[in-house]
Amino acid sequence: MEVSVRYICANCGYIYDPEKGDPMNNIPSGTAFDDLPDNWVCPLCYADKDAFDPLD
Amino acid sequence: MKPSVASLYQAVEIAQDIPPLLIGERSNTNGSKKFRECLLADDFDGCLRIGLEQEAQGAQILDLCSAYAGRDETADLTRLVKLYAESVKIPIMIDSTTPDCIEACLKLYPGRCIINSINLEDGGKTLDRVCRLAKKYGAAVVALTINVEGMAMTADEKVETARQIYQQAVGKHGLRPQDILFDPLTFTIGAGDESLFDAGIQTLEGIRRIKQELPGVFTVLGLSNISFGLPPASRKILNSVFLHEAVEQGLDAAIIDPGKSLPLAQISEEDRTFCFDLIYNRDQGEEKSPLMRFIDHFAERVETKEEDETQDKRPEEELHQKIVRGDKDGIEDILAVLLDRYPPLEIVNQILVPAMRHVGELFGKGELLLPFVLQSAEAMKKSVAWLEPHMPQVEEEEGTKILLATVQGDVHDIGKNLVDILFSNNGYKVFNIGIKVPAEIIIAKARELQVDMIGLSGLLVKSAIVMQESLPQYREAGLKMPILLGGAALTSDFVATSCVPHYDAPVVYCADAFAGLKALKDYEAGTLMATMAAPKNGKPRMKPGAKDVNIDRSQPIPEPPFYGLRHVVDIDPAELFPYVNEQALFRGRWGYRRTSSTSAEEYAELTRTTVTPLYEGLKERALKEGLLQPKAAYGYFRCYSEGDTVFVETGDETMAFDFPRQQSPPYLCIADYYRSRAEGGDVAAFFVVTIGEQIAVETKKLFEADAYHDYLMLHGFSVEVTDALAEHWHEVMRRELGIAAEKPADMTGYVTQGYQGSRYGFGYPACPDLDAHKMLFKLLEPEAIGVTLTETMEMVPEVSTSAIIAHHPQAKYFAV
Repeated sequence: MEVSVRYICANCGYIYDPEKGDPMNNIPSGTAFDDLPDNWVCPLCYADKDAFDPLD
Repeated sequence: MKPSVASLYQAVEIAQDIPPLLIGERSNTNGSKKFRECLLADDFDGCLRIGLEQEAQGAQILDLCSAYAGRDETADLTRLVKLYAESVKIPIMIDSTTPDCIEACLKLYPGRCIINSINLEDGGKTLDRVCRLAKKYGAAVVALTINVEGMAMTADEKVETARQIYQQAVGKHGLRPQDILFDPLTFTIGAGDESLFDAGIQTLEGIRRIKQELPGVFTVLGLSNISFGLPPASRKILNSVFLHEAVEQGLDAAIIDPGKSLPLAQISEEDRTFCFDLIYNRDQGEEKSPLMRFIDHFAERVETKEEDETQDKRPEEELHQKIVRGDKDGIEDILAVLLDRYPPLEIVNQILVPAMRHVGELFGKGELLLPFVLQSAEAMKKSVAWLEPHMPQVEEEEGTKILLATVQGDVHDIGKNLVDILFSNNGYKVFNIGIKVPAEIIIAKARELQVDMIGLSGLLVKSAIVMQESLPQYREAGLKMPILLGGAALTSDFVATSCVPHYDAPVVYCADAFAGLKALKDYEAGTLMATMAAPKNGKPRMKPGAKDVNIDRSQPIPEPPFYGLRHVVDIDPAELFPYVNEQALFRGRWGYRRTSSTSAEEYAELTRTTVTPLYEGLKERALKEGLLQPKAAYGYFRCYSEGDTVFVETGDETMAFDFPRQQSPPYLCIADYYRSRAEGGDVAAFFVVTIGEQIAVETKKLFEADAYHDYLMLHGFSVEVTDALAEHWHEVMRRELGIAAEKPADMTGYVTQGYQGSRYGFGYPACPDLDAHKMLFKLLEPEAIGVTLTETMEMVPEVSTSAIIAHHPQAKYFAV
């Protein structure tokens, strides 16, 4: 899996971009989606990781 | 001179002696994986090779597109244009929707190229800019028949949209008719979507009439959409036949993969007949639909090629395949054949149920999406209904019985009904006793019906609490059957730690209907276990948001246009569509997810050819049939905060809205965003909006008619349009407050709250308690717009939503 692949939340449309990371959850930029912790949730709608689809 | 385009080396006439003009589609990041990979690797020579290949295969023009999120489109496309201009002999088509990028390319290109494309989606702003560029640089343009209402589906709409574009481009910008190539859009006739059965006819008719009614213009088609959803071998054939038919109607140019185009002469008369029947939707007096006959015809031929012996498919296998494919057409014929050989119950248990289990497995592996599963369930339902009269009356229902209910205080039934559809079509006996069911009734019914299991559903945050708090009641009643729990606000952790200990038999968390199905199978196998607290890495779910927040209460207070309440009943439903969160609708509500086995290209094609047309069709239907009646009750009130309470003053009285506070840092509470009395007081804004009960009535009808797929589609649509209305009305109120300076540019901007302030829905994470509705309804009197409250403070109709709006710049979503 490529590090730069963005993922989209199927529940609300939030896009996780590895380049930006996720400041709301203290995720530094450069973190691949696969490397997000399992207890990570969508910063906007709190959906689990498996609610996310690859975008690129 | 005849209308032509040109490269540095040669001119190419748009109207070929033998049409169509072939435009190669593969030098495109959206259309070719190879091209995209080359571009992402900065392998521009590789990108060029794909162009040269297509030229060698007979392309007369090359479409060139470099749009790719995260890359600099203008830098990429100008570099490619330079390369192609030097090394490819044929002219190019600049495929971009960004005017600045188009202009940069036009400046560079040493010839006359085509711009792909313009449309009226935004009402004409972009079209104006691109037409000016076409005029300035002498380029031709492709114009798609899309207007503010979306993609034109019928011939009438296609012609009308083309006429509007013509008036702008020719009348206003002085382009010549011959400078425009109209693309009347193609939608798939290969995916079994009922609303698209005449899509081929509409496109052909659109071509004919555009050529006739707008003399001098050209037409072009992106061809391959027509056959999306069919196996590759038959796609090639259908594409070729459809192209031939389009040319007959006057098509001038086609965007295709030149390596895959098949001359008509190589297609047998018989094959053509099946293609014609499908394109023109001719039933030929046959019972099977043209699509099924087409699929059968080509499927057989592929099989005889691979394996000569299987001339005839066994009816058992055929029935299995029909269920898996979700194809109801002609299913009675196969059942009749099988009924000669087997008892009806055996057909159900040996063929139908295993086929549905297979469907479940395919879904689990990500090879089948929810909408297709529902089509399988419809085929299953139809089969069982057909067999039922032939079945002996069974006194005592055998097999596992399950009771389903949405818990007290919750009116949401989509989740429960999906479970019902899936369970009952997998051979289980389901008693679906409805919504808002109190625990006492559930207990009584479970006893009376002697069910083996209970399934409880609920969407609200509060419903999770209701489930938790009612479990001791089930225990005291002496029930011993397992209980399945499902709902948006539940997590496996919550069920394991807060629900499981309060009941004697297993309590099982089900993330979706398929998890429920697995629980049923485990139950039958005697292996069903209560959900265990086993967070994947021992940590609770993260809590997003800054942990250290200081709210600056010296921010200016906006001035509302009025104090008190207002009712608005004349909202134009078409205004809501731009606010629809399409990603949430397509992926979340409808289940058109991109699974691990789908490439980005395949997903884009699915979206373009199946999902978007479905959405366009629903929008059109909703407007035509008046299914959307958006209304708003809203108001602005003087207020002040005190601790966790916002005191709202109506003039006659003061209402106290108590809000919960987070139990961990940063300990936020909605009241924090409002100034206290000592700080000078503040302004609170509220709304209740609804899209009216008509669409809910229609949705219910579909469920009752076992139209599962359409039920899910219309339900999801109504949910997202309701949200769109909330988004729209929130913006109206920001404008009225004078705080709408930052208007989000696109849906992503709205999703991420790229505007000042926030709205907090009652019943949602920042204020889960619905009791505030009582005061809100006194404040806004939404009964006047048709919204009422149930005894548990939920709004009816379900397609309504309420919120308190905070204007404070630091106010954003949070969860307590």
